[in-house]
Amino acid sequence: MLEWIILIVVIVFIAIIIFSYYNRFAVLQNRIENSFAQIDVQLRKRADLVPNLIESVKGFMKHEQKMIREVSEARKALVSAMPSKDMAKKMKAGDMLQNALKSVFAIAENYPNLKANENFLHLQNELSAIEDKIAYARQFYNDSILSYNNLFRTIPGKWFAGLFSKKARHYLEIPTAARATPKVKF
Amino acid sequence: MAEKISFHDQIARNRRKSFVLVVIVFIVLIVLGYAISFAFSPEYFTMIMIIATIFSIVYVLGTYYNSDKIALAGVKAKKADPVIHRALYHAIDNMAIASGMPKPRAYVMESKNINAFATGRDPQHAVICITTGALETLNKQELEGLIGHEMSHIANYDIRFITTIAVVVGAISIFSQIFLRSLWFGGGNRREGGNIIFFVIAIGLAILAPIIVKLVQLAISRKREFMADAGSVKLTRYPPGMINLLKKIKKETKSMKVPGAVAPMFFSATSKRKVAGLFQTHPPIDKRILVLEKM
Repeated sequence: MLEWIILIVVIVFIAIIIFSYYNRFAVLQNRIENSFAQIDVQLRKRADLVPNLIESVKGFMKHEQKMIREVSEARKALVSAMPSKDMAKKMKAGDMLQNALKSVFAIAENYPNLKANENFLHLQNELSAIEDKIAYARQFYNDSILSYNNLFRTIPGKWFAGLFSKKARHYLEIPTAARATPKVKF
Repeated sequence: MAEKISFHDQIARNRRKSFVLVVIVFIVLIVLGYAISFAFSPEYFTMIMIIATIFSIVYVLGTYYNSDKIALAGVKAKKADPVIHRALYHAIDNMAIASGMPKPRAYVMESKNINAFATGRDPQHAVICITTGALETLNKQELEGLIGHEMSHIANYDIRFITTIAVVVGAISIFSQIFLRSLWFGGGNRREGGNIIFFVIAIGLAILAPIIVKLVQLAISRKREFMADAGSVKLTRYPPGMINLLKKIKKETKSMKVPGAVAPMFFSATSKRKVAGLFQTHPPIDKRILVLEKM
């Protein structure tokens, strides 16, 4: 009788451990997918704002046709990369667009009329806010991957990863420009 | 890795402690009620206990589910405007994304001081309230540091814990007040019905309980601040933002006028008066800066 009770207790105990590890992997995987979706949302917003921006600068920047074309091509590249599941590829297209936008904003300094345009200022603010959000979303994505990989690489998580046939995840590389410490203006 | 574990442990610990606290409150209330009823008239014991129990259940549940509204009303906070307070919404969006948490509701309160607090019973019902002074004087990095600090309080379930503690402190002081005041009315001439020992115990409890609970509350809230400072830096990855924010607060000389129950919830001490260590609501600013500079 006692042996049976001990056996049942041990089985229940093992089952609880297996379930809890399975759930921890599931929770962390969900978190990664969720943060992936967050980056997606912001990239899409960036792509959506660009046509408005082009529309508002067109009239002012008659001599910068080449640059405007670059921006709209970078946007096209991002839009076509969006359905892809490959985050690194999407991020690369997003960064290209960001760089193209940066040169637009730099050149805009030479156009006082444009800089006084409310619509343009609004778009500039929105796009720089999106840049911040993408940086933070990317940071959270990497944080989520860190938690997942921590569980994956340490014992006993490592054994359970084998049991559930889970794979390690890869970090998103952060471009060197974004990694530099932000300058504080006083 | 160690940091991750302590982070999750902290959440579990906070939830457990909140629960234990509520249980303790019920026990304290029952003991208090017991002592009071014996002190006055044992024949009314059941009735006093029933009233006391109903009162404490209503009080605890009522304040628990409305703590955010009570705190916001206490400091006369208004809902933040998405256009006027754009910087605040950006900082909250950014910190919510960085922490992977739902966006808390944003409120603004009138005050020249730089300060903020978070409240609510869980991350889904969280609120961040910030002073107009903070919005006017802080730059983007400092504002994100401040919001990141409040966001960590939310993520750690500090808000629930601090809310339950405030509820407990409130409940116990109400009961003690009722008892001590009742002594003025007819306590003396009815003493033949009660027991003198219980009477003394009841007075002792009524005086000591609020003080002890208050000291525990302060000790806990001081400890939380260091955790939330570290959590904020984890979100912003930019310690100088927090350090500059604290340095700006250090220069302030005027105290804020807020209800005592809300004071420990704020980012930094609302009173600029010097008080003994045990009675401080927050750790000294210099110490917080020192810890951040080591990161």
